[in-house]
Amino acid sequence: MSTTDIGPKGSATKAGGAVVGHVDHRTGATTGIGWFLKRNIPGETSWFQTLGFAAMAVFGLQAVTGIVLAMYYKPDPTTAYGSIRHITNDVTWGWLVRGMHKWGASAMIIVVFLHMARVFIFGSYKYPRELTWVTGALLLIMVMFMGLTGYLLVWDQKAYWATVVAMNITASAPIIGPYIADILRGGTTFNSDTLSRFYAIHMLVIPGGIATFIGLHLFLVSKLGISEPPWSKRSTRARRAEEAAARAAARQRGPRGRHEVTVDPEPQTLTAEAGQ
Amino acid sequence: MNRADQEAYRRDYAQAKKEGKPFYPYAIYKDHVVAVLVFAGIIGMAIWQRVGVGPPVYSATSTFEPRPEWYFYFLFQLLKIFKNQTALVPVIMATFVIPNVLMVLLLATPFIDRRAERRISKRPFALSVAILAFMGMAWLTYQGETGATPTVGATTIPFTGITPGSAAAAGETVYLTEGCSSCHMVKGVGGQVGPNLTTIGTAGKSATYSGKLPVPVPGATGPTYSGANWFVLHTECPTCAKPGSSMPAFASLSATDLQNLATFLNGLGTTYK
Ligand code: HEC
Ligand code: HEM
Repeated sequence: MSTTDIGPKGSATKAGGAVVGHVDHRTGATTGIGWFLKRNIPGETSWFQTLGFAAMAVFGLQAVTGIVLAMYYKPDPTTAYGSIRHITNDVTWGWLVRGMHKWGASAMIIVVFLHMARVFIFGSYKYPRELTWVTGALLLIMVMFMGLTGYLLVWDQKAYWATVVAMNITASAPIIGPYIADILRGGTTFNSDTLSRFYAIHMLVIPGGIATFIGLHLFLVSKLGISEPPWSKRSTRARRAEEAAARAAARQRGPRGRHEVTVDPEPQTLTAEAGQ
Repeated sequence: MNRADQEAYRRDYAQAKKEGKPFYPYAIYKDHVVAVLVFAGIIGMAIWQRVGVGPPVYSATSTFEPRPEWYFYFLFQLLKIFKNQTALVPVIMATFVIPNVLMVLLLATPFIDRRAERRISKRPFALSVAILAFMGMAWLTYQGETGATPTVGATTIPFTGITPGSAAAAGETVYLTEGCSSCHMVKGVGGQVGPNLTTIGTAGKSATYSGKLPVPVPGATGPTYSGANWFVLHTECPTCAKPGSSMPAFASLSATDLQNLATFLNGLGTTYK
């Protein structure tokens, strides 16, 4: 930390600096965070490129509201329904926290879906970001499973039967279907352990998976850099310049000349546009 | 993308980065603006549209639809479409083949589309796929939202021998509204969690149980339960009638509903086919 070099340092500032320096010396934390924050990204990024961060923020919100709900929720067939009522009707702000968790789940699906749509439209899944896409797609599937497992926890008529039917559908899949359904239900049918099993999956297993994959996803995003919108002014300018150079080279070497251009990124586009 | 394309992309991207701006504060501020808007939307919805609690499991309300969250509607709708087809297109298509093919296609997108071009205006095929996929999902979701009970359970079963207004007809209604068909199949309609009940009336069920029934039903007084009474006992307390049974108990039905249901079940395969 060199920001306090100007002027006399207070002892508190010095002590703080020493602690930060100590930690950084051993972990590289400030250096790493500094690199992360100050690294360059392309100059023209679109507002649509904020959706991944929004998805992450909503995941954080779900984690916080979920923890608060877990403080009052009782994952047992005889008490679950009552505890949800209690949260909704009695606990101070309980209705709000539950409402935020419920609406947050829908928002998460929408935001993740829009994020995926933007990645698709921008062609951002192409080289070198293929694996970023794969980790993202796995995240989408896990987010859907959060919805499936969370729905049952309310233990009301609608959620219960919807989940019974969903398990039913799972079990009807060939070969491994019955096994997966048995694992999810904790038995060959819906039983009194199914609820606590769904609870464990909903609040421990999948969130762990999502957190891990968000980590991988972000590692890839920051390592590879966020993509530039394909229609950015800079890339259009670069493409024009390259095309002009290619045309000039083509003129120089004549129609039957030797092919001397070493880099020819988009041959089809070039011929198409050269003919215009 | 071939080697040259990849190298060209890397060079171009390095240039974009060199001419670019630092992540902090330029991108991070946009990120936070959008995240705050999304949070505001969530809190606004939570206040505006309070989340309620439906009736508890096994309450005797007759109207409920086993619906999943809206983002699974498209899958349920798909199932409904395929369920109404002939045997040539088995339900497996909707429950297994299509969802899994879609999932694999989603995961494999970057390995299927490997062309260098990124501008959407020059990717007409990709654009069509995106639009079709979006419209398809939106349409199925909308249909699932507005359509009737999209479940493996049934709304009618084609029977012969049931006169409208009879006890058996009332029993069939109980059977359908209580969601028995989510788990049981009768005459090819329903789920497969529990055993097929098409001919359960011919099974000659009986049991001895000396405890008290949760819901007293006139005529059904133990300790021996057989015929229709066995079905009363089994519905209220499956483990009393079949030790070790894993079927959930339906102990909040009224005595009349239980009797009607038992009449209906006891005649399955004999009177009602
Ligand atoms: C959650 C799924 C589920 C629902 C809903 C359900 N059952 Fe069952 N049912 C089962 C299972 C599983 C069994 C087999 C139990 C066992 O033997 O372990 C069963 C067994 C039965 C049997 C005994 C069949 C035999 O051959 O022994 C009858 C009769 C029956 N159910 C009727 C009903 C009726 C009537 C309803 C609606 C009120 C209903 N079930 C709702 C899952 C269900
Ligand atoms: C829990 C869900 C997800 C979270 C939290 C998340 C988070 C992020 C973040 C923060 C970024 C940085 C750039 C941006 O905000 O656009 C990003 C980029 C990216 N995401 Fe996601 N994402 C999720 C789901 C997905 C899904 C479902 C896909 C696609 C199937 C996907 C594919 C990508 C790709 C390819 C990039 C790189 C884009 C680029 O460099 O321009 N992500 N993600």
